[in-house]
Amino acid sequence: MSNSEDVQVLPLLPLKNSVLFPNLLMPLSVGRPSSRAAVEAVLATEGKEMVIVAQRDSSKEEPQFEDLYNIGTRAIIKKMARQSENHMELIVLGVERVVILRLEQSQPYLTARVRPYPLPDEKTPEVQALHRAVIELAGRAIQLAQPSLPVEVSQFLSSTDDPVRLAYLLGSMMSLELSKEQALLEAATPGEALRMMHKFLTNEIQVLELRNKIASEAQSEMTKQQREYFLRQQLRAIQQELGEKDPQQAEVEMLRERLEKLQLPEEVAKEAQRELSRLERLPPGAPDYQVIRTYLDYVVELPWNTTTEDNLDLARARQVLDEDHFDLKEVKERILEHLGVLKLNPEAKAPILCFFGPPGVGKTSLGQSIARALGRKFERMSLGGLHDEAELRGHRRTYIGAMPGRIIQAIRRGGSKNPVLMLDEVDKLGRDFRGDPAAALLEILDPEQNKSFRDNYLDLPFDLSQVFFITTANTLDTIPRPLLDRMEVLRLPGYSEEEKIQIANRYLIPRQLKEAGLTPEQCSFSDDTLRTIISRYTREAGLRQLERNIGRVARKVALRYAEGKTEPVAVRPDDLPEMLGPYVFSKEELRKELPPGVATGLAWTETGGDVLYVEATLLPGGKGLTITGQLGEVMQESARAAQSYIWSHAEEFGIDAAVFKDSGLHIHVPAGAIPKDGPSAGITMATAMASLYMQAPARPDTAMTGEITLTGLVLPVGGIKEKVLAARRAGVTRIILPRANEKDLPDLPDEVRRDIEFIFAERIEDVLAAAVPALAEKAQALKTG
Amino acid sequence: MDRPKQLPAFFFPSLQSEERTYWRPSVDVYRTPNGWLLKFDLAGVRPEDVHVEVQGCLIRVSGVRRDLLAEEAGSYYSMEISYNRFERTISLPCEFANPHVSLEGRDGILIVRVSEG
Ligand SMILES: Nc1ncnc2c1ncn2[C@@H]1O[C@H](COP(=O)(O)OP(=O)(O)OP(=O)(O)O)[C@@H](O)[C@H]1O
Ligand SMILES: [Mg+2]
Repeated sequence: MSNSEDVQVLPLLPLKNSVLFPNLLMPLSVGRPSSRAAVEAVLATEGKEMVIVAQRDSSKEEPQFEDLYNIGTRAIIKKMARQSENHMELIVLGVERVVILRLEQSQPYLTARVRPYPLPDEKTPEVQALHRAVIELAGRAIQLAQPSLPVEVSQFLSSTDDPVRLAYLLGSMMSLELSKEQALLEAATPGEALRMMHKFLTNEIQVLELRNKIASEAQSEMTKQQREYFLRQQLRAIQQELGEKDPQQAEVEMLRERLEKLQLPEEVAKEAQRELSRLERLPPGAPDYQVIRTYLDYVVELPWNTTTEDNLDLARARQVLDEDHFDLKEVKERILEHLGVLKLNPEAKAPILCFFGPPGVGKTSLGQSIARALGRKFERMSLGGLHDEAELRGHRRTYIGAMPGRIIQAIRRGGSKNPVLMLDEVDKLGRDFRGDPAAALLEILDPEQNKSFRDNYLDLPFDLSQVFFITTANTLDTIPRPLLDRMEVLRLPGYSEEEKIQIANRYLIPRQLKEAGLTPEQCSFSDDTLRTIISRYTREAGLRQLERNIGRVARKVALRYAEGKTEPVAVRPDDLPEMLGPYVFSKEELRKELPPGVATGLAWTETGGDVLYVEATLLPGGKGLTITGQLGEVMQESARAAQSYIWSHAEEFGIDAAVFKDSGLHIHVPAGAIPKDGPSAGITMATAMASLYMQAPARPDTAMTGEITLTGLVLPVGGIKEKVLAARRAGVTRIILPRANEKDLPDLPDEVRRDIEFIFAERIEDVLAAAVPALAEKAQALKTG
Repeated sequence: MDRPKQLPAFFFPSLQSEERTYWRPSVDVYRTPNGWLLKFDLAGVRPEDVHVEVQGCLIRVSGVRRDLLAEEAGSYYSMEISYNRFERTISLPCEFANPHVSLEGRDGILIVRVSEG
């Protein structure tokens, strides 16, 4: 079917940038005077026909024959609407392909002599195959370009049975370059048109696949920051649309107001103003904007001038301290003392206290109590495992995600510049390549320097001089010397069974009952019950396990009430296995008899005191001294000192010198209890060796602690209270202590002093005389002689 | 009325541009006691420009609508009537061995009557 009417002369409409294909509609916007004239002329004809041809060069306003392609399309104007004097909208329908023979007229519009240029029919198998391939490719391209389109579209494509029309249709859909569209229009045969289309589609699919890939990658790479940026941008647009105030401006104003209200120190105020004006000049999407905002928020929220007023009423403070903790007189007195000083001189610097003692003895809770007594805020942070100086001092703002250090963070949390700030686990401070936090801590604690502490993030001086610092430690050995020197160490050595029972009755039981929702009338613990809990379910110097077990019992009792019980429950020792499970610890049994070569020592460990057995054995045929168990340098030193002393006095003791020559000596200290204070096992090792060489057993009821020198002197050691309490828990009844430790006895609870016989030794002979009955005489003789 | 079985054009706007190169007049089809009556909307089409062809059961009406006021009307402000070639083919159930066709033009409507001759 052909519409050809042979050669015609028709008005010509040059098209910029696109090609009209036969059988397709195209909307056109006509503005050029010559084009308008052409369209007017066409509208004034009966059939509304014209020729539409693409311009080779779209920049030509008045194209001539040579500026136009030679092949165009005969078209009919289907609809037309005039938008204004100089502009009309058309919908034109391509009817058939024509070849422009020549231009007939160029003024006031172009007319051309054209002849139909139909494509030949071509139904070869190749064309059919190409046809199918193009349909398939088109389906894929559509799928890629607009995956949401229904499948019908591709089905529709396959229903177009004229391959040329299909090619034209796709060509018009694909937004091809002009030269390609024109080439398609000029295709000499259907086969050629399809081949072209095949190429275009293949290319298009590659482009689409690439585009999708890039899009999905870009999507996933879009960082949080960028998203925030876009969201903010949108938010801003919305707010402006709603006639709301520019949020950025509002933010800046709010910050300015708050800054002014704060009455900051001059340097701080100046710096803050500078940052504020930087903020004002930045677009809210700029990466720096949030950084500065966060910074200023932080500055505004710090308690630059906020202090709490101290409660200087000593009687009330004492009452609070006593309410919270049993005993601990020394510490409480120290606090009250300081309060007294503050009363006279409000500017007085607080001492930097270090609470030192085993876990669970009340270091942290005492700090809280002090804050309560003084009426200050309490904040705490752990220094345990802190390696990086920047954790204390913060990171410079130039780092992404920079934050102030922990000190400033704690100050902000507390909301006042004079809190009680507890630095837990100062003994577990780390140190490595990231810098030395201890050095930073020194500066923080130094009253000369902490008046203007400079956090890296804040980069402004903050006054820490009114902070009441308290540190806690389980051991003093690992605290760097300069740091230790700056602090006032207060010991919390742990509690005896009697003290624990009192604390339990006064503090732990009421607290745990309340927690479980019980009244004191509903549930009671006898002292025997508490004693059983202490000995069978706990092994500690402090009170944690005891409190936890009381809590467990209380909850079990509460459950009974919940199940309908009404009579009061008095918890008896026999009830415990049912409530707490089988005993966790068997009563620490002392060995009934000791073989020669074994002596009972006392050690101080981080968790309190411990009883340990030092065992000495001969290594026949061996040489020298072997020490096993986890012993440090210091312990080895004392072992050698002990050995030297025994050897040098072998004759006096009647020890066969051959034994030394023929055998080595092996000393074993059980690894279970790792004594932290090496030298204090000295006299125990000497006793074990003497017992071994003399084949005379030591008394099993007697334990000892003390350092020994090469000449046999016994020197004082630390941790007496913990050691004695541990010994008593284990059932020891006699304890040998260095004479110089006699002064520590008043620290011990009365019942302990009552139950235990103390022997004070000045020399090793005193020790041996008291510990090894068979040696008593010889030792005594040696001493006096 | 049944929904058109054809692809809804709005699914894919550019498909809409696929068109025939002639316009299609609207047509009403009536069943009459002895055959069929077809009414073609051919307003403004001169009788001599209409061509009716009967081929077995197919009735094909084609021709040209010429804008009769094109010259005197001055310049257009807007235009929506389709001009130039039209064509419409209707296929009737084949029940006539020897169809008789009569034509009548009335008020711009072409009436085609088909009956057993
Ligand atoms: N003297 C006391 N009087 C009343 N309660 C006490 C006393 N000592 C400790 N406690 C209670 O024992 C529990 C454990 O104390 P806390 O947590 O303060 O121990 P800590 O010394 O800080 O231990 P750690 O070294 O493990 O941090 C707390 O509930 C505390 O109230
Ligand atoms: Mg603690």
